[in-house]
Amino acid sequence: MKGSKKMADSEVLHVGIDLGTSRSAISASNGERFVVDSFVGWPVDMVAKKVLKRNVMIGHEAVSNRTMLDLHRPLERGLLKEGSDKDVEAVRELLRHLLRLVGVETDGGEGKVAMSNVRAVVGVPAAALRTNKQYLRNTMKGIVDSLMIVSEPFAVAYGLDALLHTLIIDIGAGTTDFCVMKGRYPTEDDQRTLTIAGDSIDIHLLKLIQDRYPQANVTIFMVRDWKEKFSFVGTAPDKVVVTAPVAGVPTPLDITSELRASCETLLPPTIETMLDLLSRVEPEFQERVRNNIILSGGGGLIRGLPEALQDALKQVGGGKVTYMHDPVFVGSDGGLALALDAPDTDWEKLSA
Amino acid sequence: MKAGHIDRVKRRAVRQAVAENLETIRGLPPRGVRPKVRLGRIWLRRVSLLVVPLTLAGSTFLLSKPVVEPMFVVQRAVARKAGASPTQPQLMQYEKVDPAALVLSVHRVVIDAGHGGTDPGAALPGLSEKAVTLDIATRLRSLLEKSGFEVITTRADDHLIPLRERAHIANASASDIFVSIHVNSIVNHTNEHGVETYFLGPTRDASLTKLAAEENRESGYSLADMRKLLDGIYADARRDESQRLAGNIQSQLYGGLRNADPGLQNWGVKRAPFLVLVATEMPAILAEVGCISNEKEVAMLHKSEYRDRIARALFDGIRAYAVEKR
Repeated sequence: MKGSKKMADSEVLHVGIDLGTSRSAISASNGERFVVDSFVGWPVDMVAKKVLKRNVMIGHEAVSNRTMLDLHRPLERGLLKEGSDKDVEAVRELLRHLLRLVGVETDGGEGKVAMSNVRAVVGVPAAALRTNKQYLRNTMKGIVDSLMIVSEPFAVAYGLDALLHTLIIDIGAGTTDFCVMKGRYPTEDDQRTLTIAGDSIDIHLLKLIQDRYPQANVTIFMVRDWKEKFSFVGTAPDKVVVTAPVAGVPTPLDITSELRASCETLLPPTIETMLDLLSRVEPEFQERVRNNIILSGGGGLIRGLPEALQDALKQVGGGKVTYMHDPVFVGSDGGLALALDAPDTDWEKLSA
Repeated sequence: MKAGHIDRVKRRAVRQAVAENLETIRGLPPRGVRPKVRLGRIWLRRVSLLVVPLTLAGSTFLLSKPVVEPMFVVQRAVARKAGASPTQPQLMQYEKVDPAALVLSVHRVVIDAGHGGTDPGAALPGLSEKAVTLDIATRLRSLLEKSGFEVITTRADDHLIPLRERAHIANASASDIFVSIHVNSIVNHTNEHGVETYFLGPTRDASLTKLAAEENRESGYSLADMRKLLDGIYADARRDESQRLAGNIQSQLYGGLRNADPGLQNWGVKRAPFLVLVATEMPAILAEVGCISNEKEVAMLHKSEYRDRIARALFDGIRAYAVEKR
């Protein structure tokens, strides 16, 4: 800890943060939980500033007002974009915003916790390099008192008490992370990261829709909303019909086959990576791990995905895939559990 | 999984997550690409160069006499063949190789100031072991650096660094020797005060076991970790080097301090299983440079000049060892 100041337990706020490419979630030890879209925007000119009456906008509000904003999505594939001061500032704004939501203010105040009394665990993609983590650490200087950066799937596993003989598949927007839990903090060999994830599905879906309906005016934001509402693999539960302007006229578009095709781009690399990691588990534990596969992250909600993965597991003796009904906070809740369990002596060494 | 087991697994995972973060903070590369046991590798390489010619040249000599104290490679070979026919084991036994044949120099020194942060060590009102050791370590660092040694410190301020982490810092820095500074406290013998220096080894002395347990309290090692560590240590060749280093330091400590403190006793070089010595991979010693339980010594330890004298004595011991190694 900086200097030798000692914080009373009652003043310390522990938080778990899932800093996601698409959405960021925070869970705090005071019981507060929030999720925001990972977008930060600054008014493009004085006119926009006058209209918006704000210096900076964050999350869904920023996306809604994007035409008047210099909009930044500061994370790419789960990591901070490097080399851009604006993106660094954006992620700092995002983090400050998340902390404000759970009752943290720069210098504390009535009913608030000071930033200098915050201990944070932040989840990053499994394949994040030490330089990425160092960069994040530098970026968070002055925002929290102490910081622990962990692999996101590890945070998920920790929160679920699933640290032994478990395979976590965390499908986010920027990355799909895999992590075999062997009762220890995962090493590089236990983890994999794919960049086929929510964002790549969006891009693929947008292209397929544009190919089929060249006259339709469709943006990546609309596509993302549709995917989140209707995504599926395998047999379509219902026909997926959405509305988009065609030559200025709102028109119903059937995107069932496009949605299936784009969501199914996730299957081959996910299945291959899952089977590869399973094959590397000690033979006597393979069956236990196969029956303990946990699907988390927004991608875990793709309908039919757990069944598709279970089908693939049949070729190696079968298995069970469980998905989180509420995947939004599973990473941040895990981070919070870790933050609360780490002893004070450890936190003292992890000054941000 | 049972609740108790989950807790254990979680505690270990938290420890490992923290360690990984500390490595990131220090800018260390991932474990897979880090040089692991620099000194160990040098030993292994050089020992293997000696084993072949010695085996060829001395086979009759080897078979003829019993071994007084076989080297570590020999002990391991014999242990593996314990169940074999009685004529075979003798093949690998020969006299101990004099470490002097292995010319190793000393460039990088780890100074470990005992205790720190929430762990004061032995303490009295106005004087704590953690403060004394840090002050002496800082003075020693300055002396060593002025003489051209490269110095790594396990702590530079009043922070608690777990023993495990101290060993990790030393090993990751690929240093040549490790010097841990402590101050004794012997509650039932407040009239006595002296200096003593430890290197790693087993002890039958119950008071030393107690002292080691006291110093090992903040280790952070699990039983399983300990088993792995202990598997390899006593047979390690660095024991001999540690003993030499301890001898040099003890001699300079006693010689350098007795003029200032005529009542000082020489408690000599001893063996004890201090964890910080177990987990380090280079020649390592732990010096008890004074006695906080003795009133006279406490008065001395309050004085800057006396601490300076202790630092100089430690420096002289390290330099003497380094000169031997040239």
